Amino acid sequence: MLPARHAAPLQKGLLLALLLSLAACGGGGGGDSSSPADPGTTVPTPTPPSGLTPPSEADAQRFLSQATFGPTQANIDSLRTVGFKPWLASQFQAKGNLYSTGYSDAIHKAGLKDFCKQFSGFPNDYARNNCWREYYSAEPLSREFYRNALYGPDQLRQRAALALSQLFVVSNAEVEGTYGLREYQQMLADKAFGNFRDLLKSVTLSPVMGTYLNLVNNSKADPNENFARELLQLFSIGPCQLNADGTLPGGQCVATYDNNGVRDVAFALTGWTYPAGGVSPWGSSGWKNPTYLRGQMLAVAAEHDQTERKLPGGGTLAASRTPEQALDAVIDALYQHPNLPPFIGKQLIQHLVTSNPSPAYVARVSQAFVSGKAYDFGSGVRGDMQALFAAILLDPEARGDNKNSDPNYGRLREPAQYIAGMLRALNASSDGANFYWWWGNELGQIVFNANSVFNFYPPDYPLPGTDVVGPAFAIENANSTLARLNLATAMLYWGGLQAEDDRPGATGTQINGSNWLALADNPTLLVDSLDKVLVTGGLPANIKTGIVDAVGVWNEKNHGATWREERARSAVYLVLASPEYQVQR
Amino acid sequence: MNRRDLLKALMGGSALGTFGGLQALMSIPAHAAGDPSYKALVCVQLFGGNDSANMIVPTDSRYSAYQSVRGVLALPKASLVPIGAQYGLHPALAALEPLWSRGDLGVVSNVGPLVRPTTRADLVSKTARLPDNLFSHSDQQNLWQSGGSSVLGRTGWGGRLAEALGPDPVFAFGNSGRLGIGSARSTLALPGPGSDFAPAGLASNWGGHPARKAMLQTLASTPRSNKLMNAFAGIQNTALSRSASLAPLLKVSPSNNPSEILNGPFQNLSGALDSDIARQLYQVAKMIANRQSVGGNRQVFVVAQDGYDTHENQLTRQGDLFAELGPALAAFQAAMVLLGMEDSVTTATLSDFGRTFKPNSSGGADHGWGNHQLVIGGAVQGGKLHGSFPELALGGPDDFGVNSWEYQGRWIPTQSVDQYIATLARWMGLSDAQVLSLLPNLGNFTVRNLGFV
Repeated sequence: MLPARHAAPLQKGLLLALLLSLAACGGGGGGDSSSPADPGTTVPTPTPPSGLTPPSEADAQRFLSQATFGPTQANIDSLRTVGFKPWLASQFQAKGNLYSTGYSDAIHKAGLKDFCKQFSGFPNDYARNNCWREYYSAEPLSREFYRNALYGPDQLRQRAALALSQLFVVSNAEVEGTYGLREYQQMLADKAFGNFRDLLKSVTLSPVMGTYLNLVNNSKADPNENFARELLQLFSIGPCQLNADGTLPGGQCVATYDNNGVRDVAFALTGWTYPAGGVSPWGSSGWKNPTYLRGQMLAVAAEHDQTERKLPGGGTLAASRTPEQALDAVIDALYQHPNLPPFIGKQLIQHLVTSNPSPAYVARVSQAFVSGKAYDFGSGVRGDMQALFAAILLDPEARGDNKNSDPNYGRLREPAQYIAGMLRALNASSDGANFYWWWGNELGQIVFNANSVFNFYPPDYPLPGTDVVGPAFAIENANSTLARLNLATAMLYWGGLQAEDDRPGATGTQINGSNWLALADNPTLLVDSLDKVLVTGGLPANIKTGIVDAVGVWNEKNHGATWREERARSAVYLVLASPEYQVQR
Repeated sequence: MNRRDLLKALMGGSALGTFGGLQALMSIPAHAAGDPSYKALVCVQLFGGNDSANMIVPTDSRYSAYQSVRGVLALPKASLVPIGAQYGLHPALAALEPLWSRGDLGVVSNVGPLVRPTTRADLVSKTARLPDNLFSHSDQQNLWQSGGSSVLGRTGWGGRLAEALGPDPVFAFGNSGRLGIGSARSTLALPGPGSDFAPAGLASNWGGHPARKAMLQTLASTPRSNKLMNAFAGIQNTALSRSASLAPLLKVSPSNNPSEILNGPFQNLSGALDSDIARQLYQVAKMIANRQSVGGNRQVFVVAQDGYDTHENQLTRQGDLFAELGPALAAFQAAMVLLGMEDSVTTATLSDFGRTFKPNSSGGADHGWGNHQLVIGGAVQGGKLHGSFPELALGGPDDFGVNSWEYQGRWIPTQSVDQYIATLARWMGLSDAQVLSLLPNLGNFTVRNLGFV
């Protein structure tokens, strides 16, 4: 029901000008000889229950906009035969690596002061000449991210992992080491459907996070407060007390903790160093292991604070303890904190469904977090993430044919979602390159490379002149909105993105618009079909008529052999440009 | 006038235009008289919380207190760039020293969000009313950008100021957060030099292209009942109209327009000026040079530099950031002098918070509160420090920490963000009553104009 990993073979004769560069056909997923082995992911085939009332086409399309990187007609049809719950069940069980396993850790094992100049083990000239890109940056992971988003069958896990990567931010802007960043993003994906407590503890013990927010090598004397503060503020309970429905008691921000509370946690989390495995060219530095980003941080009891400390939300940490005991006590205090379910639940709703959920919706999702059960999903243990995601996606506020009567509903498609959604709709072949430095920068979201731990945008970004918030609007501006249009232009009119000439296996990105081209004789049918697959809530009649008219200007009599291609291009361009598409509703 | 003449001489003295067909209109002699009808405020956001304790260091008898507490973070006295007898600048900000000597650079000391005047005694007696979520990046950025003490504010003082002053939005070349959001007006975020800032592929008059272009405009200008769609359409609409008018100006860069006069003070954006902050200020300078075609006569600009959250390795990291910031601010001021606009343009820094005076064990410092700010311009009362400098003692009268384990040197601000903004807003032309309306919390302070500009 989901697309194969590789783009379908091109149907010769139907493509013509929409597909200006055919040379790289089929390059969608693999064949990159310099890259680690392509990750494999398996998703069990869902079994539709008998007596199922199939979801409506409109609701199926909305669901796939929320739970995947974008619907295709085939996905919609398949989901309707399977039903939401069996689809979710199979997605929760998807197993495998989103990211390849073969990234080299040589930068931290070779013990070289200037790795890129001194290393003798590069597999080829490309790797040597692009050492920073391939060994230090997150760009290779971005390539895999987009290939997975386009072709991976475990779509829900990927959407969830992208959301989690924006809640538990680490960034290549400050952490270098492709292999380590890979471990972290894979960990988020692996634990996306487990229990929140395990996820939070894994985030805390990650040497990548440890590097990013300075928890690693933090000693009991004058500890660095960085991780402790963001653990409380961003990763768990937030700075303001919340009702279970996510609202502020009395409409005011009443502090959840004070500065002493941050310092208590900072002291409680001292005494962790890098995992074994790194080799430093500068020799030993006492209890601090050399940098190594694979595995979990190691406890060093002698560097751990031994003073009695207060725990978030009340409770006391006894003076005599190990680093592991203190960590578990802090994680448990946060895990049991009443702020956690609405704080995390509301943000995940914002990432998947709508920026301004009603308090009742947040309360239902919070309840699912607390009970660990929702819609027959979940183990019944607090913090069950399957219950959490099921509660978010199956809620009545998420479901329905359209939400057009609610003026506050929806969320701006974030750039990564826009890029992937467009390419999926256009059946593109892509190696995933060029969406990191160039297009990511233009659109304001370079995955795995946020400016700070506060992500690309805040959850409470106010929409000017309104009473609602729109998180992704914080990075939407006159320049980036033109970049959205210009990426569509590049795909539709300029032959896509060229293959990088030096990277082995590079294919670039080319679209295959044959399914849309086949409808070009009838502009109304063409625009209707795009509308049905892409536009949640549908295009209003006046907008649709306007697009149909603009498409119909192209004709056989006046515009030569490519009139059909031009129609398809105009139709896709205008539908993608429409605010009705850009705001997922 | 002497300064301008000097600069012109230094740069070859030619009166080249700023870009394209406007060269004749926008030539130097027209600028040379200055433009008293015009004022611009340039906000420089130093994101992450600039450690201003190492930006301005006392070089008098207080240096020993500084050195003993700062420990590994203490800058050697000999490395500091003297500004007057009492203070020195961080060595990487040496480019700003001449501005101090000329009276164009002032320091406003120990500024931070406050509900009302607050002392250590208020904290000890637990009677202090404190702003929301002190020491939190996002929340303190909100307060610096919104004014007041509640993190729930939805608008920025820059946006409200722009709405009170005229037709223009706040123009941003870096992350502006909510600073530029007005009650009904959005920030206009614009790209760097060399950028096309245009919708591609819509110029053709052939076939259905004009109809596609017209429909794109319809999509952008059709009102929607859905607030998010309406907001998105509004951004598209602004982009389409502003790109048509501003793209040629924004695209000008040293490489595509070697004759641009601003290339001189910005040294072609090369060497120490090959930085993002320099490129942003270059764009602002072009906007000011071409103000007649850009908009009205009261404008607010925002530029930003990331990376000041120096929890570790602070000496290197802050030094690298200042090595970009100092030359960029000096170049911008030289550009204003060149344009004859130095009295019409004031530049002011903002930052989340200062950092703990006491270092942590990672060679960095953690989140503080009060923080020194730099103000630059011909109208600035420069060459002096405005306000009282904190007493550099842990647990002293300026320390937020009440219990001994909390003595970290997070300075209680002695001047509020609201006072700082109000002073700038008064200079931009707001009346005292308008400033009180802009910043309702200001009523809690006796002094509503700090007098630094």
